[in-house]
Amino acid sequence: MVDDSDEEPSTKKPTTSAKPRKSALLSSSDEEAPPKKPTTTAKKSNTTNSSAEPKARASLPAKMDIVSDSEEAPPAVKKRKKPSIVVSSSDEDEDKPSPPPKKKAAISGSSSKPKARASLPAKKNADEDFVISSDEDGPSAPKAKAKAKAPVKRAAKKEKDEAEPEGKGKGKGKAPAEESKTASKPNWAAIQAAKARGPAAPGSKTVPDGEDNCLFGLAFVFTGELSSFSREEAVDIAKRFGGRVVGQPSSKTDFVVLGEDAGQSKLNAIAKHGLKTLNEDEFLQLIATRKGNGKAVDDKTKKKLEKEQAAIKAAAKEMDKKEKEAIKEAGASSSKVVDPSTQLWTTRYAPQTLKDICGNKSAVEKLEAWLKDWPQSYKAGFKKPGKNGMNMYRAVLISGSPGIGKTTSAHLCAKLAGYTPIELNASDTRSKKLVENGMNINNKSLDGFFAGTSTSNSDTMITDRTCLIMDEVDGMSAGDRGGVGALNALIKKSKIPIICIANDKGAQKLKPLMSTTYGLSFAKPQASTIRSRMMSIVYREKMKIPANVIDQLIAGAQSDIRQVLNMLSTVKLSSNSLSFDEGKELTKMNEKYTIMSPFDLTSKILGPYLFSHTARETLGDKMELYFQDHSFMPLFIQENYLKTQPAKARNEEGPDKEMKMLRLMDKAASSISDGDLVDGMIHGPEQHWSLMPLHAVCSTIRPASFIYGTGAHYGGPNAMSFPKWLGQNSSQNKLNRQLNEVQVRMRLKVSGDKNEIRQSYIPALYPYIVLPLVEQGASAVDDIIDRMDDYFLSKEDWDTIVELGVGDIDYETVLKKKISPQAKAALTRKYNASEHPIPFHKAVDLGKAPKKLVADQVPDHEDAFELDEIVEDVSDDEKNTKDPEGINNDKLIKASKKKAAAKK
Amino acid sequence: MSLWVDQYRPRSLEDLHYHLELSNRLKSLASSGDFPHMLFYGPSGAGKKTRITCTLRQLFGAGVEKLKIDQRVFLSPSKRKIEVNIVQSNFHIEITPSEAGNYDRVVIQELLKEIAQTQQVDLNAKQRFKVVIINEADSLSRDAQAALRRTMEKYMSNMRIILCANSTSRLIAPIKSRCLLMRVAAPNAEDMQAVMQHVSKRAGFDLPPDVAGKIIDDSGGNLRKAILCLEALKMQSPDLSGALTIAKPDWETYCHKVADLIISQQSPARVMEVRQKFYELLSHCIPPTIILKTVADRVVERVDEAIKADVMHWAAVYEVRMRTGSKKIYHLEAWVVKVMSLYKHFLFDMDLTGFDD
Repeated sequence: MVDDSDEEPSTKKPTTSAKPRKSALLSSSDEEAPPKKPTTTAKKSNTTNSSAEPKARASLPAKMDIVSDSEEAPPAVKKRKKPSIVVSSSDEDEDKPSPPPKKKAAISGSSSKPKARASLPAKKNADEDFVISSDEDGPSAPKAKAKAKAPVKRAAKKEKDEAEPEGKGKGKGKAPAEESKTASKPNWAAIQAAKARGPAAPGSKTVPDGEDNCLFGLAFVFTGELSSFSREEAVDIAKRFGGRVVGQPSSKTDFVVLGEDAGQSKLNAIAKHGLKTLNEDEFLQLIATRKGNGKAVDDKTKKKLEKEQAAIKAAAKEMDKKEKEAIKEAGASSSKVVDPSTQLWTTRYAPQTLKDICGNKSAVEKLEAWLKDWPQSYKAGFKKPGKNGMNMYRAVLISGSPGIGKTTSAHLCAKLAGYTPIELNASDTRSKKLVENGMNINNKSLDGFFAGTSTSNSDTMITDRTCLIMDEVDGMSAGDRGGVGALNALIKKSKIPIICIANDKGAQKLKPLMSTTYGLSFAKPQASTIRSRMMSIVYREKMKIPANVIDQLIAGAQSDIRQVLNMLSTVKLSSNSLSFDEGKELTKMNEKYTIMSPFDLTSKILGPYLFSHTARETLGDKMELYFQDHSFMPLFIQENYLKTQPAKARNEEGPDKEMKMLRLMDKAASSISDGDLVDGMIHGPEQHWSLMPLHAVCSTIRPASFIYGTGAHYGGPNAMSFPKWLGQNSSQNKLNRQLNEVQVRMRLKVSGDKNEIRQSYIPALYPYIVLPLVEQGASAVDDIIDRMDDYFLSKEDWDTIVELGVGDIDYETVLKKKISPQAKAALTRKYNASEHPIPFHKAVDLGKAPKKLVADQVPDHEDAFELDEIVEDVSDDEKNTKDPEGINNDKLIKASKKKAAAKK
Repeated sequence: MSLWVDQYRPRSLEDLHYHLELSNRLKSLASSGDFPHMLFYGPSGAGKKTRITCTLRQLFGAGVEKLKIDQRVFLSPSKRKIEVNIVQSNFHIEITPSEAGNYDRVVIQELLKEIAQTQQVDLNAKQRFKVVIINEADSLSRDAQAALRRTMEKYMSNMRIILCANSTSRLIAPIKSRCLLMRVAAPNAEDMQAVMQHVSKRAGFDLPPDVAGKIIDDSGGNLRKAILCLEALKMQSPDLSGALTIAKPDWETYCHKVADLIISQQSPARVMEVRQKFYELLSHCIPPTIILKTVADRVVERVDEAIKADVMHWAAVYEVRMRTGSKKIYHLEAWVVKVMSLYKHFLFDMDLTGFDD
């Protein structure tokens, strides 16, 4: 903001400074109206001006005294200059205007400076301001807090409605507009350029300083592209003021904030539910005017709020009480008393009852029931499935992401079911030997009988009922040789319940456990389930953190309760409160690195938001997307880049649109081609890996910057697809190899190389060795085989030749439709029944056991073969003598062997 | 019963029908005893291989026609097995190093050294040296060519190398300077006419000159193609009369279809359709350069004079990029989009200034 106001004084005079803006404005309004209607355009621009002009001027007097007045620059020069600049800058797809400074403003949030506020209206883009309807002034003006903005706005409005008091100003306001209009009218290129520019300027708007929680209880849906905020920012703003943001509009939605290009399904939903819609300015206005902290909320939500508060307080009190009890108990039983305030929050606030566990209620209940039933199941020999079918298993495998209470639940359930949990985790060596010997697996330990209440070296009490918790089973690795296998063997004969815990149950390592354990997956708990508990902890710690900040922390940690608690305890060290922005920073710092799938990345890169004017991503951020999967991203982009509706061609119609699209596609395609050249240098003999960033830009970012837009989604007619290049490339390699075979065989007769074979010989041979089979059927078989023998072609080569056909003689159509199965069978039979010249033996084939024999499903043959194999190991020579016929082992007589098979 | 093109292939230098001067020079070189390394280059179907075989026969006698194929396995530095097929007689050996792909250097190094280090043991042999024929020399990698350089000088006493290539542009200068360059140009129409009359006479029928002319026009100087075509035509209509249509090979018709697709509509959906067709062609072993050339030729035929030059220009640009790049389809597609854009703009008669940046 300060930067912005600095820039203004440099312009000569307030009146002149408004002009360049106007001409820019003019071109942008041109773009909305079809170029062939100059009259409407003129009118429109005039109205735009009359509102915009005074606005700008009215805001400026504040700064006037700072500005030294120098001589006025001739307006004509200025005005003519501007459009030409626009042309040059936006002709070649203009780079994004650098992110407006409003982000800074957005972050500074509540700590507003009066100075900044004063200059705020001036900063607003003229064309955006005039959209604000008159009723907005009503509530904001009488406010005690009334910012400089309100009077300015009113002044602007007044000037707009009545004739402007300064005639001079008006004349100046209008005349240049018309001049620039006429000047730019013949300038066809300028109009074109303005069209290419896309939506209205991303002029920055500041977020008003609404009261805290002023949007509390309201549900918002955002759709379409806002003119000055990116989607994420807008959602952020709504959340900052306590609003709820949901994805799809429903009857419970309070407001829908509509941007450009709103999704049709959302529009339908709006119409269906009769929802209130807001545009961007109305949305901001709502924030500025609505009363905060639940004052504007209706009774129902107020009551709900109060109830929530009461629940939080009650929970906190409960916690207090429990802690005291625990201390008392501990004090009574032993001398060792742990002061709760020295404990980590994660231990201190660990759930004490099943009720305390956040989320996964049913899974936890199942686990408890299973543990309770375990002795009975054991007696029944694990034959009775029980209610959940769980009682067939001696062990359970709990899986789920970190920090959602898997270990806690396991311990708690074990305790509640009356077991003594013994935990082994990755910090213990869990090799086969130790797993087998070190655990009380046969339930023979007498500890419980002897020691009674004494504690063993760890804090756990050994009783007659123990339960083994194998934590972090997916961490069993190198040192734990045979660990998982041994564990699995253990599970099969265990006399105590075993609970295994892992993060990823799909891991290859855990395959053996799949059949012996009951898989119990823990899902990430919903933010709402965690929130209340976090709130009561916060309350108990006497911190002041609003619910929306907690929500944000939870979302940022991806429902990792442990991480949220750790973050909160860190905050507690320095202060007792946490604002929205601090929370955001904190989550960013603790952000877990997440990997998106190539599909998600593609839809993000090609989607309408990443390159829109309001996007805040830097080039580095965009390249980061490529580096998430640098081998796949270029392929995905190339596969899918034609599936978007380019946002850049959005404002065009008819042939212009088609041409614009083709131009954009052309640029994207040539950039992809550039990318391949760079790729060649990276993967070539020189291996210039330092070119990776360039490859990222050429292959992924730059193409997307041209053709980004809606359309590349999952599903629908233009669904994103997996790159076909991979499949096509492998089939190309396969056919190439086969063609090589053919060429080598034909080599004795034919001088041509591989390409010549494909391009000339195969079409020439086709009428001799394939077509007769189509036309004459089985009777042509002899001629075909003669011809094949001439060129030393085998039956496999014949298949290759058929496979290599394209178009009308495509493999599928020829083999499946044109050639009758009888004819084909005749060819195969006949070919196999006779002997054929072969040009050479493949080196790899010699000395190999004949494959064909294995294929035959004759039992005694198979036995003989197996016997052969054993002998083969002893000595090759011996094998030959043992097999009197020698046929099976001799490649040269392969054909005759087959004949025997055929006869049979 | 081979195809005519193989059946009636000339066996000795005397039988050759055209480039007689070249034949004479080869004959005198073969008899001089001072036989140099040679590089035969020229378009396919011009008769390079035929001339090489005839020269060998001149050098060593009929013994070179007893060919056998061997499959050799080489180990790459990364212990990968590379199979290479070798065609050889007692006097010569013929390899196609491009079969080994990126590892052609290994093949060249090991095989050549092995051959060069053994002397001709047959005392009755006409020459003291053996000949190594390297096919597709223009697809040899840089490394392989470099490996060839010193070998060519060092083992001159035991071995001669004959390189066979389509063009010399991809061969490094040191190799070219060590060889005697033999250009086998594509035969002109009269030469082809003569050859075809000869073939038809041996096959036992009369070939009307106009039919031959038609085939020659269609073949573009590729004699192999012409003779194969003649045989196909003869099979189609044994009396070679009436309106004869020369059947195009499957891939060529397919390429033409692609060109028609480009001309008939310009849209993203069409580009994707064309991409699919390109994939089809590529996976069926049609080299990308051939695809681009055939499609571009057809497009040029069908578009207006004004943009013909542009279409060809961009085809040339993208062909070069295709050769340097690895994923050919990207460049083919970029060309297609470019042509579509050009064509569309031409149709709407737009100002194209500043377009081709």
